Amino acid sequence: MPVESPMLHAVAVGSVDDGKSTLIGRLLYETGHLNADEIAHVEEASRKRGRKFLDLALLTDGLRAEREQGITIDVAYRSFDANGRRILLGDAPGHEQYTRNMVTAAAGADVAILLVDAGNGLTSQTRRHLAICAMLGVEDVIACVNKIDLVSYDEGRFIELADELIAASQAVDGPRITAIPLSALEGINITQRSEKLGWYSGPTVLEVLHDLDRPIADEAFRMPVQWVTRYDEGGADVRALAGRIASGTVRVGDEVVALPGGSTSTVTAIDVLGDARDAASAPLSVALQLATDIDVSRGDVIAPVDDPPQVATRVRATIAWLDEAPLSAPARLEVRQSARLVPAIVEELHERLDLDAMRNEQADALEANDLGIATLLLAQPLVVQPYAVNREMGSMVLVDPGSNRTVGAVMVTEVLAG
Amino acid sequence: MSTLTELGTLDVLEAEAVHIIRECAAECERPVLLFSGGKDSIVLAHLATKAFTPAALPFPLMHVDTGHNFPEVIEYRDWYVQEIDERLIVASVEQSIAAGRVQDETGPRASRNRLQTTTLLDAIAEHQFDACFGGARRDEERARAKERVFSHRDMFGQWDPRNQRPEPWGIYNTKLRKGEHFRVFPLSNWTEVDIWAYIQREGLRLPSIYFAHERQVFTRDGMLMAAADFVERLPGEEVVTETVRFRTVGDATCTACTLSTASTVEQVLDETRESDVSERGASRADDRTSEAAMEDRKRGGYF
Ligand SMILES: Nc1nc2c(ncn2[C@@H]2O[C@H](COP(=O)(O)OP(=O)(O)OP(=O)(O)O)[C@@H](O)[C@H]2O)c(=O)[nH]1
Ligand SMILES: [Mg+2]
Repeated sequence: MPVESPMLHAVAVGSVDDGKSTLIGRLLYETGHLNADEIAHVEEASRKRGRKFLDLALLTDGLRAEREQGITIDVAYRSFDANGRRILLGDAPGHEQYTRNMVTAAAGADVAILLVDAGNGLTSQTRRHLAICAMLGVEDVIACVNKIDLVSYDEGRFIELADELIAASQAVDGPRITAIPLSALEGINITQRSEKLGWYSGPTVLEVLHDLDRPIADEAFRMPVQWVTRYDEGGADVRALAGRIASGTVRVGDEVVALPGGSTSTVTAIDVLGDARDAASAPLSVALQLATDIDVSRGDVIAPVDDPPQVATRVRATIAWLDEAPLSAPARLEVRQSARLVPAIVEELHERLDLDAMRNEQADALEANDLGIATLLLAQPLVVQPYAVNREMGSMVLVDPGSNRTVGAVMVTEVLAG
Repeated sequence: MSTLTELGTLDVLEAEAVHIIRECAAECERPVLLFSGGKDSIVLAHLATKAFTPAALPFPLMHVDTGHNFPEVIEYRDWYVQEIDERLIVASVEQSIAAGRVQDETGPRASRNRLQTTTLLDAIAEHQFDACFGGARRDEERARAKERVFSHRDMFGQWDPRNQRPEPWGIYNTKLRKGEHFRVFPLSNWTEVDIWAYIQREGLRLPSIYFAHERQVFTRDGMLMAAADFVERLPGEEVVTETVRFRTVGDATCTACTLSTASTVEQVLDETRESDVSERGASRADDRTSEAAMEDRKRGGYF
C-alpha cells in the first residue's frame, strides 16, 4: 500500500550569488507566507545596507556573518503549505567552502531548485551541485535561468543555458530537468508570469512544485532498532523494539529476522506511540513485539525473513568529502549508519570526479568538497543495501574519531564479499 | 485495531520527533528535557512520554526558573509533572543571583532573560548533562532556522554557527568530548500552527494564560506587557484591563500578550492561521534590541 507523502522536501542549490536566497524569500513573499513584522524587518535591514529595493535574501540570511558578507553560510529551513501539501524548503549555500552544508540540505530532498546566473552561465560549482544532487538520488531538478533581466529577457540565452543544464545532468546520469527563465529580483515566473517573457509558455516554479508526484516508495520492510524497552504489563515482562520504520510496511503475523545476528521470530504486536495497530508503514516511529525473546539490541535491523538486506564488512561507495583536511587511503575513521557506529578503514580510493571535465579520474586523495569512489572495510558487519535500492540502508556518515567531526557523506554503490 | 492508510503532516512530524528523542536517549549519557510550562515544551514532553510509553522517561525534566513567572504557569508545571509522574529539576536564577554568579538588572527595562544562560550552564555542569532537549522551532526566528537538530555546544556552552556538523539524511553524529553537550531540537520542522493542531489532536491541557482572559496590562514599544510587581513602569505607561492571551511563555519581563477573545484551542488555531504577525514579533521584547539578538544569545549558550 504505497501512500502519498504529505511532505515534499525541496532545496535551492547552485553557484554563489546566483539568487537562491532571493528566490526563496520571493516565493514565501508572493505566496503570503511572510508576516508583516518579517517584511518590516527585511525592509529595515535592506535600508541599512543601502539597498534601494526589498532585498529578500535577508529573510533567510539571518546570521551576522552572512549579512556582513552578503552570502549564505549555512542552510536555513522554511516550511510552507501549498496545495494541501507541506513543503520543507532548504536554502543551501552556494559558496564552495560550505559545500558540506549544501550536502546536509540536499540529502533526502525530493526536488532541487537549481539556479544559474543568466549572465555568468554554468560554473564548476553549478556542476558540482548537480552532481551531488544526482548522487543523492534527487529525482527532479527545476533549473532556473535566473537574472534574465540582466540579459534583456533574451530567449536565445535561455535556450542555450537550458541545453547546457540538460547536457550537464545527462553527463552525471542525473535528474529530470525542467528549465524555467526567471527573475528572482523582479518576481518573474516564481508564482506569476510576465509579459517581458512573452515567448515563455511553460510553468512557474510554484506550479512545478504543486504538480510533483511523491508517492512513498514501495520498498521492503526495514526497521533499525533504536531502543529496546522492557516493562511490566499485567504481571508479564514485555519487551518491545522501538524504532522508526525506514522503509516498507510491517504487519502483525509477519515472519522477521534480526540482522546481523540472524535470529528469526514473528511480529505479535505493533504499537504506534500508544496505539495498537495491525500494520504500520514508513516513516512512522513504532515499537514491535515479537513472539520469542530472540537476541536483539540497538543497531540491529528487523526485516522480512524472505526479503532481507545484506550483511557485509566491505562496501564500495561514493563519498562526498566534507572536511578541510584531505582524505587519502588508508584512513581510519568511524562509520555512522542508522543506529550504529563502527570503526572503518577507507582501504582504497578509486576515483575522483573531475567537475570541469565531468568524468572520473584516478586520485590519491579527496580534497574538501570532492566527490569520489572508495572501498570501505568495516570492523563489524553492517546491514546494508546499495543506496539506489534503499536509501536508508545505503547512507552513512564518516566521523573522525580524533576530532569528532563529521567528515564525509557516504552512499553505498555495491556490497562486497568479505 | 486500525491500519493507517493515509499519513498527515502531523504523523510525519511526530514520527520524526520521536526518532530524534529516542536517538538522543540511546546515545547520550545524561540527557535532560528543558521544560518551561510553555506550549512547545508541553508538546515536547508529551512526545517524549509517547516515545517510551508505557515505560517511564529515561531522563528528567528541568525548568530554568527566572523567578519572574506567571503563577498560572508554575501551577501548571507542578500539576503536569505530577500527572506524568516524572522528576523535575528546578534551576533557579534567584539562586544564581544569591550566589553572586550573576547580577540582577535594575530599572524599568530589567529582565532576567539573559541571566538564564548562566543558570542553565551551571545546572548542566552540576548535573553533568550531555544533552538538553529544547522545544525550539525553525520557524521562530532567523538564527534558529539555521540550527541543526543535534546542535553542538563546546565546553563553554557556545554555539558556533559557522562550523555546524553536517546532518545528511538525519544521521546524527553524537560524539562529544567531556564537558561539551548538545542542544537537541525534535520540533525543528514544526510550525506554530502545527503545535496548535497537535495540541488539538492530542487533547493536551495548557496553562490558562494561552487563552483569552482579563489582565492588567500596559503598552511598551507597541507591545502589551503584563503589569507585575517585578516590572517597573516608565512614566506614562498606564495600566489598563484588556482581554488578552499569550502566544509564548517566557520570562514575564519580556513576554508580551496580544488582544484576543480566543478561549478554546479551536479558536486559537483559527487565529494563528489568520495572524499577520509572527509569534516572536508579537511576544518577544528581547529580539528588538538588534538584528542578530538571538544569534548572539545562542552563541553564548542561551536556549
Ligand atoms: N538583477 C538581478 N539580480 C538578482 C536576481 N536574483 C538575485 N539577484 C541579486 O544577486 C545577488 C545574490 O543573491 P542571493 O539571493 O543572495 O544569492 P544566493 O544564491 O542565495 O547566494 P549564496 O547563498 O551566497 O550562494 C543579490 O545582490 C541579489 O539581489 C535577479 O533575478 N536579477
Ligand atoms: Mg543564499
